[in-house]
Amino acid sequence: MQFSSQMYILLLGNRCYQVPNTPRRVMVDVAVIGAGQTKYGNHPLGLKAMWAEAATNAFNSVDKNFEANLVDEAFIGSVAFGGGQLGNTAAILTEHSGMKGCSVRRVENACASSGFALRDAMMAIKSGEADIVVAGGIEKMNDLSAERKRYWLGVSGDTEWERLAGLTFPGTYALMARRHFHEYGSNHDDLVNISVKNHMHGFENEFAHIRKEVSFEKAASGFMVADPLTLYDCCPTSDGASCVILAADHVVRDFTDDPIWLKGSGAGSDHLALHDRHSITQMSATQKAVAQAYKSSGVLARDIDLAEVHDCFTIAELMATEDLGFANRGEGGLFARQGRGRRNEGDVAINPSGGLKSKGHPLGATGTGQAVEIFKQLKGTVEAPRQIRDAEIGLTHNVGGSGATCAVHIFGRDR
Amino acid sequence: MMEEEQPIEVAEVDLTEMTEQEILEMAVDKTIVWKGYLACVDEDSCIVQSPWFLGEDCVFGADSDHTTLAIAAIQLLQSEGTQIDSINSLNDVEASIVLMATGVEVMQTSTDDSTELNAEWDLCIGDDAVVLVCKTDCDMDILEPTGGLDVDEQFHQEMTSAWEKECQPEHVSQGAYVSRQQYHEGAAARLNLMSQEVDGELIWPPRQMDEKGNLMPQASIPLQGVATIESWTKLAAAGAPSEFSIRAPLLGGISTVFVRFEQGPRGVFLLVDDEDDNPKIGDQVQFAIRRIYAQEGYIRYGLKCQIIRD
Repeated sequence: MQFSSQMYILLLGNRCYQVPNTPRRVMVDVAVIGAGQTKYGNHPLGLKAMWAEAATNAFNSVDKNFEANLVDEAFIGSVAFGGGQLGNTAAILTEHSGMKGCSVRRVENACASSGFALRDAMMAIKSGEADIVVAGGIEKMNDLSAERKRYWLGVSGDTEWERLAGLTFPGTYALMARRHFHEYGSNHDDLVNISVKNHMHGFENEFAHIRKEVSFEKAASGFMVADPLTLYDCCPTSDGASCVILAADHVVRDFTDDPIWLKGSGAGSDHLALHDRHSITQMSATQKAVAQAYKSSGVLARDIDLAEVHDCFTIAELMATEDLGFANRGEGGLFARQGRGRRNEGDVAINPSGGLKSKGHPLGATGTGQAVEIFKQLKGTVEAPRQIRDAEIGLTHNVGGSGATCAVHIFGRDR
Repeated sequence: MMEEEQPIEVAEVDLTEMTEQEILEMAVDKTIVWKGYLACVDEDSCIVQSPWFLGEDCVFGADSDHTTLAIAAIQLLQSEGTQIDSINSLNDVEASIVLMATGVEVMQTSTDDSTELNAEWDLCIGDDAVVLVCKTDCDMDILEPTGGLDVDEQFHQEMTSAWEKECQPEHVSQGAYVSRQQYHEGAAARLNLMSQEVDGELIWPPRQMDEKGNLMPQASIPLQGVATIESWTKLAAAGAPSEFSIRAPLLGGISTVFVRFEQGPRGVFLLVDDEDDNPKIGDQVQFAIRRIYAQEGYIRYGLKCQIIRD
C-alpha cells in the first residue's frame, strides 16, 4: 500500500506497526495492471517455483515498474490437490515470491477457487482497505501416483451421496449430457464440435497443456470415459499457476497507462449434489453469477467479444453458452454445430485460449488463468494467430465442481 | 423401511439362460426372484439364496454377502405382512446394517456364549450363499429355491480376492472419505429411503435446515421402492472413483443411474453389479441393498438399483 496518507502507530507487544489511517472509500473502480501464468501441463517445477514463475510473469507484464512488496493483500486459490501443502498454502507461496508479510489466505472453492480469489481481491479494493491486491491460483496434480490421484479426483463432489454412488466428475457431467440430449435433442456430435474448436484454439497457445489439433472423426471416436463422454470430451489434469494483479483506480496510473478494467463481477452457488437441483441441464449458480456480472458492468451478453468458459467437459461449455446468454435455452448444441464460438468467425470467441480442454485445468489456477487470457487478449499481447480482432470486452466463467459454485467476471478496455 | 413391494413370480422374469421346463419347475416349487436373489417364503420361514452357482456350491454375486441376503429375507417376510421385532443369530452379519435396513434387531451371540437368545425368529446361515429366517418353533419342512446360474469361475475367484483385499483394515482412503460416523448418520436415508415431509413435499436425502433457517423435521416418511431413470452413465474402470478401483476392472466399469421417485425426490444410485443391461431413460427401477465398498475393514452398504423388465 502506498502510505502517502495519514499513518498511526499500533503497538502490539513490544513491536510497532505502521497502519494506514485512510478513510473508507466507496465505489472504487478496479483495474488489472498485470497478469501471468506458467505453462500448463506436466510442469517440471514444484509448488513454490511454479508460483514464483507465474508471479514473475505477472510482475513483468506490468507496463511500468512494479515491486512485489507493494502488494497489500493476496488471495490464492487452490484445492491443495494431493495434500502436498494443505495448510497455509498462500503463506508459503507469497513468502517465496517477494510478498512476505502481506495479508494472505488460500481460497478454496474447488475448480472455482481462483475465480473466487479474484472476486475477493476485487472486493478488498472496492472496500477501500487495499490498493494493490494479487489474485492467483495454483495446483500441482501430476506428481502423484496414479492411485493417489484417483483418490483426490472428485473430492469436490458430494462425497456422502454422489461418491458413494460411484460418481466423480466425468460421471456427473455424463448424467447432465445424456439428460440434455434427451430434453433438447442435442447430441454427441455437438460436443465433438466443441472439442475440435477448443483444440484448434489452443494449438497456437504457448501456455496450453495440449497443443494438438483434433479432427472431428478422431474426437468422435475417442475412448469412452463415462458414457456418453469420451476422452475428447474431458479436460486433462494439469499442473499450473496463474497470477493477476489488481489495482485501485487512484493508483492505476502509477503502473500503466493502458489498464484493463474489471467492469463487473458476480458469483453464485447451488446444491452440491445433482439430485438436489431444480435441473441438471442448466446451472443456476452460473445464471445467478452472470446476472450479477452483467448488471454490475452494464454489459449484455451480445456485447461480449470473447469468453473464457469453464469447459472441464464439453457438455459444460454447451450448457454455459446457454446459461451465459450466448445461446437460447436448449440451443447450446446448435450454437456449437454452427461454429458460433469459433475465433474471429462466430458471434463470440468461446475459449480462445483453448479452454480447459486444451489449455488445461490445474484446478485452483484455472479461474485466474482465464483472467490472464482475457487480459492478454484485450492488451493485444497473445500470439498473433489467435488474437481476437477488435476485442473490447471479455468474460470469464469459472465453475466449482459440477456447478455448486460459480464466479463470473467481465473485463473491458474502457472503464 | 421402504414401502412394501411385491415379490416377482419367477415365471414373469427372464432369468437369462434357464429352460422353460426349469422355469416351470421353479414356479411349481414356489421359487420367486426377490431383490435379485432366489427365494421361497411361507408364513413362518423364508430362504433366500444367491442365484449364482460354482458347480454344486451356491456362491455370492459380485456385491452380495450374508448381510445382504439376510436383509432381503427379512424384507421378504415383511412384505408378506409378517411382523418381526428381533431375530437370533449365531453368525456374523452386520447387525447395525440389518437394523437400519429392516428395523429388526439382531440378537447376536457366539456358540460358546451363554447369552440367552429370546427372539421369536432365528437367522441361520452356513458356508453357502444362503440364509434361512424362520420362527424358532417352526417345523423344518422348509421349501428351498431351485434353479440358478453358473458363475464364471475366474470372475468369481478374482472378485472374492478383490473383496478380501478391499476389506483389509490397511485399505484406507487417501482423499475423498466417508467416515463410519458420517456413513451411519445418513444410513437411515441410505438404506431405507427415509425422507422428510415439509409442507406436503417430501425431501430426500434429508437436509438440516430450511430456507428460513428452521431445523428440518426428522426423516420418517419412506419413499416408494420404485423410481424412474432420468439419466444414466457407465464409467470406464479407469474413470471410476478409487474406492471402486480394485473391482471396477473386473466388472468392466460401474453404472450409475439418476432417478426420480414418484413422490418427487431424485437420487443417484449404482446399479447392482449383476445387472448387465444398459439402462434407458424412462426405465423403472427397484432397490436392493448391496455392498458398495469397504475401507478400513468396514463395509459400506447401500441401496442399488435393479432395472424392472417387462
